[in-house]
Amino acid sequence: MSKGIPEQIDPGPWLELARAATERDVLRALAAESPTVSDLAVLLSPAADSAMESMAQRALHLTRRHFGRTISLYIPLYLSDYCSGGCVYCGFAADRRIPRSRLDRGHAIGEMDSIKAMGFDEILLLTGERTKQAGFPFVLENVRLAAERFNLVAIETFPMTADEYRALSDAGCVGMSLYQETFDPVIYRQAHRWGPKQDYAGRIDAPRRALEGGMRQVGLGVLLGLADPVFDALALFRHIEHLRKSFWRSGFSVSFPRIRPQAGGYAPSHPVDERLLARIIWAFRICLPDAHLVLSTRESPAFRDGMAGVGISKMSAASRTTVGGYAESEACRNGQFAVNDDRGTAAFCEMLKVRGLEPVFKNWDAVYRSTA
Amino acid sequence: MRDPLRLGTGTFQSRLLLGTGKFSSPAAMLKAVRASGAQLVTVALRRFNREQASDDLFGPLSSIAGLTLVPNTSGALNAREAIRAAQLGRELSGSPYTKLEIHPNPHHLMPDPIETFEAARVLVAEGFAVLPYIMADPVLAKRLEDLGCAAVMPLAAGIGTGKGLTTRDLLGLIVRNSRVPVIVDAGLRSPSEAAAAMELGCDAVLVNSAVAAAEDPASMAGAFKLAVRAGRSARLAGIMPVSECAVATSPLTSFLSACNPAQP
Repeated sequence: MSKGIPEQIDPGPWLELARAATERDVLRALAAESPTVSDLAVLLSPAADSAMESMAQRALHLTRRHFGRTISLYIPLYLSDYCSGGCVYCGFAADRRIPRSRLDRGHAIGEMDSIKAMGFDEILLLTGERTKQAGFPFVLENVRLAAERFNLVAIETFPMTADEYRALSDAGCVGMSLYQETFDPVIYRQAHRWGPKQDYAGRIDAPRRALEGGMRQVGLGVLLGLADPVFDALALFRHIEHLRKSFWRSGFSVSFPRIRPQAGGYAPSHPVDERLLARIIWAFRICLPDAHLVLSTRESPAFRDGMAGVGISKMSAASRTTVGGYAESEACRNGQFAVNDDRGTAAFCEMLKVRGLEPVFKNWDAVYRSTA
Repeated sequence: MRDPLRLGTGTFQSRLLLGTGKFSSPAAMLKAVRASGAQLVTVALRRFNREQASDDLFGPLSSIAGLTLVPNTSGALNAREAIRAAQLGRELSGSPYTKLEIHPNPHHLMPDPIETFEAARVLVAEGFAVLPYIMADPVLAKRLEDLGCAAVMPLAAGIGTGKGLTTRDLLGLIVRNSRVPVIVDAGLRSPSEAAAAMELGCDAVLVNSAVAAAEDPASMAGAFKLAVRAGRSARLAGIMPVSECAVATSPLTSFLSACNPAQP
């Protein structure tokens, strides 16, 4: 099962514990002062389902302790939906018969100015896999445009070389998100049918290259639904622990995307329901108390409201998953996935305030950029 | 003014400093600041938002009369970044104070002594009243004092941990040798710990999470205000020494009084 996965990430030795832990083990894990990967395995086990309320309480207190009564906000901007990738689960995959587009310079400026006017100060720029139309020079140009307007610019694009990451960092990019999708090498190969994304090991290595290239924070995650979520969650945790030892000045955040309905109609082979998703997030909060845990608009308003501040410390809002979409007011069509929470910024912030949480738009300053 | 805290060229009656992050709203933060009686509050430069008033912490604080703002450099990874942040903070706030925070690991937030020392050297030369956040390291404290820092701010425990006075013995060494104010910064959870820090001889206490994460932040701010006052009063009153056992009669030495005095 674990063949092909790097030894320092392999969750193999903890899988039995994650399967057979007892309620007694769960109580011990909940009481651990410095939870380890073993405690995570226990909290991911079926036995922990009976301790959901205790896990939520612990997650609430740890989130409040480390992040206060605040939620950091960011917004995604899709720069392009051209894609060379063959991901079976993605609405933007190269074989989907959808009209393709990318933002030209004028449109990008219009979109960024519209986002700025919505109040956001942290922007996440997204593309598909590397293409002629949306390759490195395209991303670099958009990072430059965004850095003129936002204090915090981050990317979620195709994996790059350390030199490319360095050039983006010098242009004002602070963060890089890249999800491994799954650490299971067999399922990874099946899910990524062609193209550069077939390079499983190269993708695992990308966060290291980004940090070596000067990025200050990386966002990691797996696509829940693709493979055994317990295997992937444990591998993800070990990956972060491993990276942290080398990059001790860097920030790490974790996202929990679930496969959503999209063009192509892929049905997840390991569906994760909301109860299990909540437990995975709380288990991460308990074992990784000081990292941002991120929840996007893939999830429903009710779920997002319940998780805000209870494990989750950072959220997107008012998102479009189409290319652009902020400058005009038309409804979203042909997005990468269906947005599940389509509330506007004001309504979302109002919900946070009702829950005693302060929405924080600006939580970093461009004065800290490497080239400022 | 009786027993003021002298910090740089300023004097302050309150010995409680408040951090302003982590509150549920600017209104809740302002209520806590008022209840604390603090005259010095620190604001992260990254929370200055000149473009959106509702997201800005600096604006509302600058409207409170009698409050001195201390911009902090939280977010800086090294001396170069902290120096730039301090300069920008002074430009925006007009305050002569800078709380120098360089904690390059964003997860445990422990201060980097090497970068902090280097930044302090530059900022002192530029005329800042520098308040460096440091480990409870008695040698580093003296080195920063020698540079001309206006105070030292050793930690009691990690930021936001609420573990209390875990560095008590080291704080004691710093207090005993310091000629500049010692302000305990970070790690306190309850007012009794703040009182204990003051009894130990610290000159002031800074709290943020302990107030912001309390169920009722404003009431907790008021409780810290009283605790800091009580601790300071106790320190000035002279606390009786600790003894391992009861001190009763002197059974082993009483025979000495019965001896005849020595003859010349």
